[in-house]
Amino acid sequence: MRRLQDFQPGDTFELVRRADRYLPVYYAAVSGDFNPIHIDREVARLAGFPDAILQGMCTMAWLADACTAYFGDPVRVRRLRVRFSRPVVVGDTVTFRGRCTSVEGPVVKVEVEATNQRGEEVLKGASAEASF
Amino acid sequence: MAIDPRHVGRRYGPFKTTVCAERIRDFATAVAGGTPGYFGAGSGDGAHPWTVDEEAARRSPHGSLVAPPTFGVTFAMQPFALACTDPELGIDLVRLLHAEQAFEYGAVVRPGDVLTTTGEVVEVRSRGPLDFLIVRTETHNQGGERVLVGHWTAVVRG
Repeated sequence: MRRLQDFQPGDTFELVRRADRYLPVYYAAVSGDFNPIHIDREVARLAGFPDAILQGMCTMAWLADACTAYFGDPVRVRRLRVRFSRPVVVGDTVTFRGRCTSVEGPVVKVEVEATNQRGEEVLKGASAEASF
Repeated sequence: MAIDPRHVGRRYGPFKTTVCAERIRDFATAVAGGTPGYFGAGSGDGAHPWTVDEEAARRSPHGSLVAPPTFGVTFAMQPFALACTDPELGIDLVRLLHAEQAFEYGAVVRPGDVLTTTGEVVEVRSRGPLDFLIVRTETHNQGGERVLVGHWTAVVRG
């Protein structure tokens, strides 16, 4: 298990996840978010997207997984914040690149960039705080 | 059509949820790219063991499975979903997207917890062709401890 002294500003971490065809369906089942825009390609097209789009909360769950792997413990996370700046479409691969920005008292803060396979940002202002 | 700001203060809930181990495990599994449910093949790549592996979780400092940070979607999203589909607010769901999300965490969430969530529309604003709606939720456990505060922001594209 990681301890406070294991964290340094400037630490980096990375996570890569892919939104396959089934993920929005599975995520709907486990989260309860069955908005058809995530499930039905035709509805997504009506809304102006090329295909079904992943639930933003699933992208946020990926962000949380990236941060949790760095912090070492899911319940150390005290705050988590994101802006969904671009939809993740079925078939997209998202790379999360995190950086520790500060360690002050018991609080470790990180900022995370999330980009798709074309290098476009899918999240803005993604950040997390953990307490040790 | 802009959302009427008089809806600020509109409340939803309380909603009660009992947390179960299977739902935590399925949630963490699906997010990590695994298959949830009885036919599950592995736990996906990178789910934290304390969210999917009861044995590992029992040996952890928490002594049981714990909910991953965004598991709140399963028990705290209802006020936001109801606001977005509230006929009084009149939002066109095809033009609706989740714009922002923020969580603040309190007590640990574990299997067996009975959670109660209430929500309130705290902000309605327009920016050009975009309408924004913010719902704040607060969730407490059976012991009265606060486990989660959520700020859920929707954008409606004009």
